[in-house]
Amino acid sequence: MRQAYMGIDVGSISTKGVIIDDDNQILSSAYIWTEGDPIGAVKKLLHLLEADFPKEAYEIVATGTTGSARQLTGVVVGATTVKNEITAHAVGTTTFYPDVRTILEIGGQDSKIILVENGVAVDYAMNTLCAAGTGAFLSSQAKRLGIEAEDIASYALRSKHPTPIAARCTVFAESDLVHKIQMGHSKEDILAGICDAVVANYLNNVGKGKKIVSPVVFQGGVSKNQGVVAAFEKALGCKVTVDENGHLMGALGVAIIAKRSGVRKTFDFSVEDMEFRTRDASCGRCPNNCEIVCVYRGDELIDAWGNRCERGAIAVKNQA
Amino acid sequence: MPSSEKKIATIRYAEYSAAFKYLVEQGLDCQFIVQPRMTQRTEKIGEKYSPDMVCTPFKTLLGTLIEALEAGADTIIMPNGICRLSYYGELLRKILMDEGYECTFINLNAYAMSGKPKDWLNGLKSVNPKAKMSHLLSAGVETIKMVEYLDEITFEYYKGCGFEPTGAWQKAYKHFIAAMYRADSKAAIEKAYNEAKQTFDSVPLIKPPHPLKVGIIGEFYTAVDPFSNREVEEKLANMGVEVHRWMNMTHRLIHYPGEKNLNVEIKEYCTYEMGPTSTANIWAAKHYAEQGFHGLVHIKSANCTPEIDIVPILQQLSAHYKIPLLVLTCDTQTSDVGLMTRLEAFYDMMEAKGRQLK
Repeated sequence: MRQAYMGIDVGSISTKGVIIDDDNQILSSAYIWTEGDPIGAVKKLLHLLEADFPKEAYEIVATGTTGSARQLTGVVVGATTVKNEITAHAVGTTTFYPDVRTILEIGGQDSKIILVENGVAVDYAMNTLCAAGTGAFLSSQAKRLGIEAEDIASYALRSKHPTPIAARCTVFAESDLVHKIQMGHSKEDILAGICDAVVANYLNNVGKGKKIVSPVVFQGGVSKNQGVVAAFEKALGCKVTVDENGHLMGALGVAIIAKRSGVRKTFDFSVEDMEFRTRDASCGRCPNNCEIVCVYRGDELIDAWGNRCERGAIAVKNQA
Repeated sequence: MPSSEKKIATIRYAEYSAAFKYLVEQGLDCQFIVQPRMTQRTEKIGEKYSPDMVCTPFKTLLGTLIEALEAGADTIIMPNGICRLSYYGELLRKILMDEGYECTFINLNAYAMSGKPKDWLNGLKSVNPKAKMSHLLSAGVETIKMVEYLDEITFEYYKGCGFEPTGAWQKAYKHFIAAMYRADSKAAIEKAYNEAKQTFDSVPLIKPPHPLKVGIIGEFYTAVDPFSNREVEEKLANMGVEVHRWMNMTHRLIHYPGEKNLNVEIKEYCTYEMGPTSTANIWAAKHYAEQGFHGLVHIKSANCTPEIDIVPILQQLSAHYKIPLLVLTCDTQTSDVGLMTRLEAFYDMMEAKGRQLK
């Protein structure tokens, strides 16, 4: 039996999973929408991963979770490693692109920039108070124009004169966009303008004050949009590499981290059939009223979090 | 029995309430009301009555004043100080009056305008005319001592607590803070200080030979007040990091080296004074970088102009010295989850770099 490692990345919009072997080759991968139900999405993901996975030859000995639902997913699948998505992306990308200097990442609701020197991350930034210029913005604007998010690029790349769109803030960008539509600009020019706006917003927010050095790798869901890639190349004046597995990079990264960590626990696909549910409880022991999330497997409480102090701590029995 | 019926309160700021309390009880011979510890409710009520674009500390301060009045205070002493604090007193008073809160509001800034310490002391003494100036002066000296001890013990604590698994340090620190609130004499202050020192000296730390060191810099209120910065220091320390913070009342107010003296040492980065803590923060950042720290964490509140202005300089400094910089903006809406993601990633980055250097 050869060893394999699994990585799961549950983001706000999409859920990604990979199983890799000792040489970081992908044995099985899947990419689905989270649809506001991280536990359901993970179960569905595991089902898809299991279908392609050569079970007879390999055994999954370590599992890592990342993304905004990493803690919840980690409990559900019994992960050996739970890592933040910034580190996961940095490790994943530097493994496949050892020379990379700048990693651009735009996801569904967040965007980050990671600067790399000699194969390790030396600086990063992540969007803070605003989600302007992320995937959620692109897909909502595509919808307004009556086209699918996947088709944005084919329209945008046909444009000769992108329409300038105010990019500082999603709400303003949207009203500016409506104005431009009513003025009679073509869909092609407007969509190219949106792609430029996403890039301008990114470079002015997370990219502010960061020295972007080539080679540049662009990933996250939005990197699948050729229109945005072209806009980045135009703005940065250098080639922007998009890996065919760029959308899986977080999952790949956390699988590699799980592999390196040395912690081993055989993963069993039977969690697909288990019943998990979460319940909110308000602590009520002080005016903070921390929202405590309790996770149950069947009727058994397996973990709880959300408390800001020990007064709200819930003791978990038989913790695995 | 206090010689005045008044129930005094002031703003809440880290654990300095203990020192305010000591000054009012021992120096002014009045009863002091300590409002409950800050919670999300404090921010919510402060936010409700504050202008939206004002800096976050204003909202928090207003919340703590309202909670003090709810706890039974009838007189508020508003300290004056750096940045807009002196201006905020009047604004806070107006908002409280407009919202129908009844209290005597003594804004010390009104007595600080002349620049003469005597006027300021008289303003403070006007709270209770029966109090003796000699008491006020001796209590004042002891209060300053208490602030210095609070800062010193807090510094020692965050520097070491990440390497002490038994919890003895945490227990000693909490005990010390509680003792400061109870203190009614110089002897009580000294005793608690010595006990904390003794625990820190005697309980061994399990420290690697080259631990990760982080320097915290930032705005006077948010970087110092653990509630406002979502306990960044505690969170970093728990990851196994030595946490240093120069910014506190002792360094910025009591023993401030002076704008000119600090500016001289950072001439290559900035020529002019940019704000009440800007020079000190750039100086501290450079100081940490030169000492080989592994990272800088800059903490500011949302809408804090002076600290926003120094970010480009800190970025330059970070590039020069190759020291990673994490800029955190704390707002009344800041969530813990997003903060943890950033801190964890920052830790991983410092750790990976440290491993590579070895």
